[in-house]
Amino acid sequence: MSTEATEKPGEEGGSTVGGAGTGGTRFDLDKETELRFEVEAGERVQLELLNGMAEVFGSELNRNKKYTFGPGSKIAVFTWQGCSLSLSGKTEVAYVSKDTPMLLYLNTHAALEQMRRQAERDNERGPRVMVVGPTDVGKSTVCRLLLNYAVRLGRRPTLVELDVGQSSVSVPGTMSALCIERPADVEEGFSVQAPLVFHFGSTTPGTNIKLYNKLTSCLAEVFSQRCEVNRRASVGGCIINTCGWVKGSGYQALVHCASAFQVDVVLVLDQERLYNELKRDLPHFVRVVLLPKSGGVVERSKDCRRETRDEKIREYFYGFRGVSFYPHAFDVRFSDVRIYKIGAPSIPDSCLPLGMSQDDTQLKLVPVSPGRDLTHHVLSVSCVEDEVEGGPGRSRGILESPVCGFIVVTAVDTQAQVMTVLSPAPRPLPRHTLLIMDIRFIDLK
Amino acid sequence: MAAKDTLTEAVQVEFSNELLSPPELLHARSRNHKIPVKGQKDFLLSGSEQQRAALQKSLDEHWTLVAEERVERLGNLVNAEWIPEEKLVKLQTPAGKFWQTMGFSDRGKQCLLPEEALYLMECGSVQVFYQDLPLSIQEGYEQFLSPETVTLHQYQVFGHLKRLGYVVNRFDPSTVPTLYERQLNLPLPRNKQTKHLKRKHGNSPLGSRLFNKSHCDKRSTLPVEETKPAQQCEGEIMTVDPRLDQTAPDQAKTEQNPQDELMEFNTDLDRAPRRNWWTDTSSQVQHTLGQHTSARPWDFSCIRFPDLGSSRAGHACLAAPDPKLLPGALQVGECEVTPWLRKLNLKAERLSRREWERQRERDRYHRDINNDREVRRCRNWAEYLELMEKRRSHQFKKRPAHLWEQDVIPLAQPGQCDSHRDLLEQVSVIQSSDLLHGASRLPPSEQWRICFNVYQPDTVADFKKSHPGKPYTRMCVCSFDGPVPDLLVMKQLSFQSGDVPVTFAVVDHGDISFYCFKEFKLPTDIY
Repeated sequence: MSTEATEKPGEEGGSTVGGAGTGGTRFDLDKETELRFEVEAGERVQLELLNGMAEVFGSELNRNKKYTFGPGSKIAVFTWQGCSLSLSGKTEVAYVSKDTPMLLYLNTHAALEQMRRQAERDNERGPRVMVVGPTDVGKSTVCRLLLNYAVRLGRRPTLVELDVGQSSVSVPGTMSALCIERPADVEEGFSVQAPLVFHFGSTTPGTNIKLYNKLTSCLAEVFSQRCEVNRRASVGGCIINTCGWVKGSGYQALVHCASAFQVDVVLVLDQERLYNELKRDLPHFVRVVLLPKSGGVVERSKDCRRETRDEKIREYFYGFRGVSFYPHAFDVRFSDVRIYKIGAPSIPDSCLPLGMSQDDTQLKLVPVSPGRDLTHHVLSVSCVEDEVEGGPGRSRGILESPVCGFIVVTAVDTQAQVMTVLSPAPRPLPRHTLLIMDIRFIDLK
Repeated sequence: MAAKDTLTEAVQVEFSNELLSPPELLHARSRNHKIPVKGQKDFLLSGSEQQRAALQKSLDEHWTLVAEERVERLGNLVNAEWIPEEKLVKLQTPAGKFWQTMGFSDRGKQCLLPEEALYLMECGSVQVFYQDLPLSIQEGYEQFLSPETVTLHQYQVFGHLKRLGYVVNRFDPSTVPTLYERQLNLPLPRNKQTKHLKRKHGNSPLGSRLFNKSHCDKRSTLPVEETKPAQQCEGEIMTVDPRLDQTAPDQAKTEQNPQDELMEFNTDLDRAPRRNWWTDTSSQVQHTLGQHTSARPWDFSCIRFPDLGSSRAGHACLAAPDPKLLPGALQVGECEVTPWLRKLNLKAERLSRREWERQRERDRYHRDINNDREVRRCRNWAEYLELMEKRRSHQFKKRPAHLWEQDVIPLAQPGQCDSHRDLLEQVSVIQSSDLLHGASRLPPSEQWRICFNVYQPDTVADFKKSHPGKPYTRMCVCSFDGPVPDLLVMKQLSFQSGDVPVTFAVVDHGDISFYCFKEFKLPTDIY
């Protein structure tokens, strides 16, 4: 089992690999075992289910359909009943393992499903689950698994993605919520339709923990509102994926998240210390559960994470494996947009107005004057209404407004006062309030 | 040749022969052209002889001014014919300099609108014939001004502005760039207006130029029809990201305020629902999350989680889950837990020395919050958060009863605002609003219309009829006898006018005053 393995799209277009016939390696799996494999860099692997039943992170495989996995994918194919698989292409490793915690995860799902049934019967809300643990223990995979199982039973759970570094919903540096209506695609992951996305702007919550907590509360509020009008969403509950930062402020953020979402169950992966601390700091009615991590989870290097992030942004503009979307490039005049950065640099206490605390600066909007250093930065287009913005009677601040899309600045012409942007939609920009991210994207391919 | 103001004389005289002799011309030229200066108005009749004399003098002056024969050079006069069916004046001889700013061509013929013709008659540049007889200015007033063309009030404003040097023409709502065009920054089509006029001559020359009553119904609905596609376009454009914006309908609803939804439902029944995450939630509903928390806690003795932490002590085997709870009705066996207990904490924790020390300190001194009896008594989050809130507020001083325990309580809660902005937001009872906000949804009014586009005088900017550009302002004519424009009207008109300001010309028995509404923002704390 690995984390976010299928979310890595291939480097180049084309979903079929020429010459890869049926002459692949055949694997026969016993019941409750899994085939783990990693795809070599620059290679592609095709997987085919010959007989029996198998699933990839909870999404069932179709028999005799070829699934292609791009370079760097780390996949685990699990079978409950036993199956035969064919694998063709170059893999780094490929082995069958009996040692999987899937049965524990399935039991977890069964318990959550029991809660959903009870919620349905008693007209109450469904389970809200938070998945926590250090980095590289398979948090995202467990989320995907539980969501897939739930949606296969006809539930409508919500995925709340708080991992700003490796978001599975939108580009990195965002916090998002996504209603799951069908199981994840084996290759592409969950279909990303109409997510709610908030701008965070950085890949670690540590850069602005106050904003992180505020946006967590925003998401929780929106989710509760949704539950109030949508019964199925309420029963389906939510599964919250968190960051791998579990020390200090990161831990405090987890406790804050638990109270903002009013979670019922916390799944702690692997780390017993975290389990004990959460048991101590969360009220008794919250069920804290310790689960093992899968032996198949691979540790990812910093470079690997950065590449995944880059791929995620590329996928946003060019579509899965870079073939389905065609983004637009056009000029935007500086005078037409307002660019902000969230969080002012901290200043000594002695310089602050009386009674103002330092923390306020973290949520301040700082206007950014466009310049050459803006090049390659990812900008979020805030949903805040242009005419309302700035007025005192405005309904929602820029901070609390979701994002309607992202653009990348590809060039800045300070002389002509224009910047060239890469945008998923043609001009004009729908809104004119832009928020700058620390994340850069260089469109090389 | 002289045009006379009085009808009776005019009918009897043979006009073309009415030429003046040199001494008469000389006399006419040396006449005093100054308009007598009126002093301040007397409002009350005092009955004194002095006042009566002053009044009489002023009246006499007025009459001599009006009755004065006007002398024009025959060569300067342009002949034209009044065509009442089309409400137009067609020129018969080539137009003069006024053609730069007035008139239009219809099938090769030069035409003037009635208000333009009347103004030019007053200026002595045009001689209008009807049934081969010249019209006097008085007749012009009677013939040209009607609710279908322009009213007297409108003409007074028109003439006033013309005399001041402005270029004035009728306002045609269809020439205003739509919201969408403005957003795209499209240049105004070069000959939009002229083309527009030309096209209309083909089918209904009347429809385009009549702009009061009979056609105003049709006209007034025009702007809405025209802005509608723009709004729809706008709605589409908002979907920047094909993936981000396809909000599921129920999801979108989540964000909308019930009130807002209702309002939208009322005003734009036929419009496609706008697809964004939230529309304006000006009166943000404070959510009491507690409403939805179940009063009953989950019974975790029935709902069994495979918790490795608690099973350290006891049961080492998990019963097989009910197949009904599993996808695809899976049948799985029991699950041994014990082997997994050894497979915990696989991921090595890297703590710096300081972190480690802090950790140990916390372990030693930090109490389990569940040791607290009150916390143990809470059954769900709502109760727990309420308890926490209560404890927090207990730390503050007790609030004085005469302030907080009555119907009227202070607007701002102590301790809740930590910046000036928060405080200002809490005490702002009247919300300031943008003039254009929500205006797109308003139905157009029957009574209020924009009448004229006004352009700067020639000296300031070059005016071209074929490419008029952006007007300096737009005029809405009203009278002191009529009602005062309300907020609704102002919103509608300024929305219709777009980025050009709207001025209200208020006519009071010939005196015209101009009013415009300027938007300003209340000072706020910028954060």
